[in-house]
Amino acid sequence: MSAIEITELSKTFKGKRGAVVEALNGVSLTVGQGEVFGFLGPNGAGKSTTIKCLVGLIQPSSGNATIMGKAISAADARKTVGYLPENPAYYDYLSAEEYLHFVGRVFQMPEALIAQRTEEMLKLLELWDARKRQIRGFSKGMVQRVGVAQTLIHDPDVYILDEPMSGLDPIGRALVKDIILDLKKRGKCVFFSTHITDDVEKVCDRVGVINKGRLLVVESVENILQRGVEGYAVRVINKDGQGENLFVEKINLQSFIQQSIQHQQSIEKIEPRRKDMEAFFLEIVAQ
Amino acid sequence: MMRVSVPVALLVTGLLAYCLLIGPFTAYMRNKPIEEKLGFVPSIKLIKPLSADQKEIAGASLVIKVVMYYGGLMGKAMDGRVITERPDLMGMSRLLHGAVQLDPYNMDAYYFAQGFLTWDAGQHKVANELLEYGMKYRTWDWYLPFFAGFNYAYFLKDYAKAAEYYKRAGDLSGESLHKSLAGRYMQESGQTELAIFYLTGMDKNEKSPAMKKIYQTRLKAFREVRRIEVARDQFKLTHGTLPASVEQLVKIGLLTSPPVDPYGGSFYLEADGKVRSTSKFAFAVMKGEKNNVGN
Amino acid sequence: MIAVIGITLKGVFRDRVFQGIIAFAVLFLFIPSASTLSMRQVTELSITLSLSLISFILLLLSVFLGATSLWKDMERRYTFSVLSLPISRCSYLLGRFFGLALFLILSSTILGSVACLVIKVAAGLHPPDRPVVWSWLALAIVFATLKYILLVGVALLLSTVSTSFFLPIFGTICAFLASGITQQVYEYVNSPIAAEVVSPLLKPIVAVLYYLLPNLAGFDLKVNAIYGIAPNFAGLGITAVYFVAYTAILLGLSSLSFNRREMK
Repeated sequence: MSAIEITELSKTFKGKRGAVVEALNGVSLTVGQGEVFGFLGPNGAGKSTTIKCLVGLIQPSSGNATIMGKAISAADARKTVGYLPENPAYYDYLSAEEYLHFVGRVFQMPEALIAQRTEEMLKLLELWDARKRQIRGFSKGMVQRVGVAQTLIHDPDVYILDEPMSGLDPIGRALVKDIILDLKKRGKCVFFSTHITDDVEKVCDRVGVINKGRLLVVESVENILQRGVEGYAVRVINKDGQGENLFVEKINLQSFIQQSIQHQQSIEKIEPRRKDMEAFFLEIVAQ
Repeated sequence: MMRVSVPVALLVTGLLAYCLLIGPFTAYMRNKPIEEKLGFVPSIKLIKPLSADQKEIAGASLVIKVVMYYGGLMGKAMDGRVITERPDLMGMSRLLHGAVQLDPYNMDAYYFAQGFLTWDAGQHKVANELLEYGMKYRTWDWYLPFFAGFNYAYFLKDYAKAAEYYKRAGDLSGESLHKSLAGRYMQESGQTELAIFYLTGMDKNEKSPAMKKIYQTRLKAFREVRRIEVARDQFKLTHGTLPASVEQLVKIGLLTSPPVDPYGGSFYLEADGKVRSTSKFAFAVMKGEKNNVGN
Repeated sequence: MIAVIGITLKGVFRDRVFQGIIAFAVLFLFIPSASTLSMRQVTELSITLSLSLISFILLLLSVFLGATSLWKDMERRYTFSVLSLPISRCSYLLGRFFGLALFLILSSTILGSVACLVIKVAAGLHPPDRPVVWSWLALAIVFATLKYILLVGVALLLSTVSTSFFLPIFGTICAFLASGITQQVYEYVNSPIAAEVVSPLLKPIVAVLYYLLPNLAGFDLKVNAIYGIAPNFAGLGITAVYFVAYTAILLGLSSLSFNRREMK
């Protein structure tokens, strides 16, 4: 069973004066359990629309999707999901602790477990000291961390995160990256949208690129990085002890190494020179 | 599951219950005792500050409440349905007094109060005090002194006062007719004509169709009275004595058709020749009494 | 749903709107002295003022809290975080409704107790001719509460179809104003006196409005409480069932409309 299975999902919005906006157009996608999937696209590409369809905030015009085998049209499908909205807002009259308790109750967790997990999550996200304060007084980064905490509290199998890094300072980003990597280690599925390619490179197994409502490509991060290698920057030391920096084409690497052995040069370092994720992303979107 | 079935179930059960219930509920509301229907209106001392800068609309809504209540009641009476309660005239008066405290310029309140406080309630003094109050504000309105003059002449028989008010009405309206009214109708013989004149004015001025109907009914009654009076005077002229009964006048042809009291009573002559009706020219009260007697 | 009721109550108590409105309750302190303005019926006036004050506070609470609770959730984007939890829209809406209803019941219980105290003081100072019938006073408060709970349903329905708070707030106020007079207008239009003057087009319109709009005139038992007049219990039974039926319709419609609502 796949963690998330999206089949031919389309969504049209009715704009003003009868204009029809195609936000999603036949998106099909499968994300396996234990996989970290990055959903990449420029602003307004349809990332959030896809995610909102998955968590039942909007109804797809056609097509369907399942989460852990359950159709998304039922509220039950969200039992195994932790969802972090983009720029989230939580009842600002509740304290962080009260909010996590509320979420725990909605997930029908036993009270003792709620208390225990709330404490763990608040400590993990460094909100423990602020737990009694109303969310009203939180900074943007703190609210984002409450958001992360409420996706984790019930320890779901599937995590759907909409721009999880936005609004966080570098420390917060590092923390969230660590959390995602930890989830991956524990075999959870993480599906997250972003427009920051660097995040994808560091944590994702696979990546999908979406633009103008169409899913353009789905590829494993390793392949992309492999394919992107154009050549190698090589530093060799000649017989006379002089260092030299060279650029070697990808296909010539083998012969270059053999040659340098023949010429009794010693190779000090070989570094792949490649197009990074960003270049890959820009290339796809430009097509 | 919850997504569709619960709302639909709620809706269907609710609609079913509503359909079953609305009949009895409407009947219950319709038959609620009248005191309850005029409703309880908090003291004007409370309404005044609460209505803030919307005193005019608060006043107008009080008047509308009374008109709707009375109009509905009269509708039942004309329909021939028996009214079990007399109209709460005192309650109506209280509301109208409140209304003019909120908005002393509210024309409807004065006109309507004059309409029922006189014949129906017999509260001529109260009516005149209200008119006095109104005259302080509606200084241009000749109808108010005209009403007051009528009340003094017709009900209270205070002809000096009546003449004073008629003069005022005449000054305001610029019509000499009003000035001469007092002199012209001061005798008992002139009373009916005075009433007819007064009611014609009321009728002409009234915008509410329900109230118009009420005035027209009364006017019709007085026109019939006038017809009998003319016949009676003619009889006296030729025979030298008063006729024995209204029926006699019809029989000898002085009245071409038998007079009809629109209030449902029958006309008769008093010993001194005054024309009266068993209905006393009031609808609701008459019906109410009939009902009481019947029980 | 219980969790939603819980946070609804918490939300109301921490809401500044609530705190502002409840400040009106201070006016209760003035009722005993204000009642002496009436020369003959001090106790009656104190009952009147108390009931009116309770009604007024409940009206404000039901209109403002009812109309803003869903609107605020959408406006402040709480819906994204809450409706994506495994909770159906219907349970969420019902939770909100029952939370507010419970809150109104709590408020009217507290306000009612204060009112009883105030009336007792007034009656102690100037013993009334007719003894105060406490059970009818309680009944009047109960029916007033039902009335405003129904109004919360109207406010919720309007907020499920509207994107701003104008329609819910002003729509609810209009529904409240209209609900007090539909009966009178309906009877007037159908009375023979109006038959000739009311245009035939108006009659069906009034009939439709009469059946469509809530008829809250039946919930007003102030007269019975003030003058100790026995209410018609069969009629009250019908009124109570009317409340249940009408509220069920409102909630059903609200849920259906809220289900279709897209959280863009």
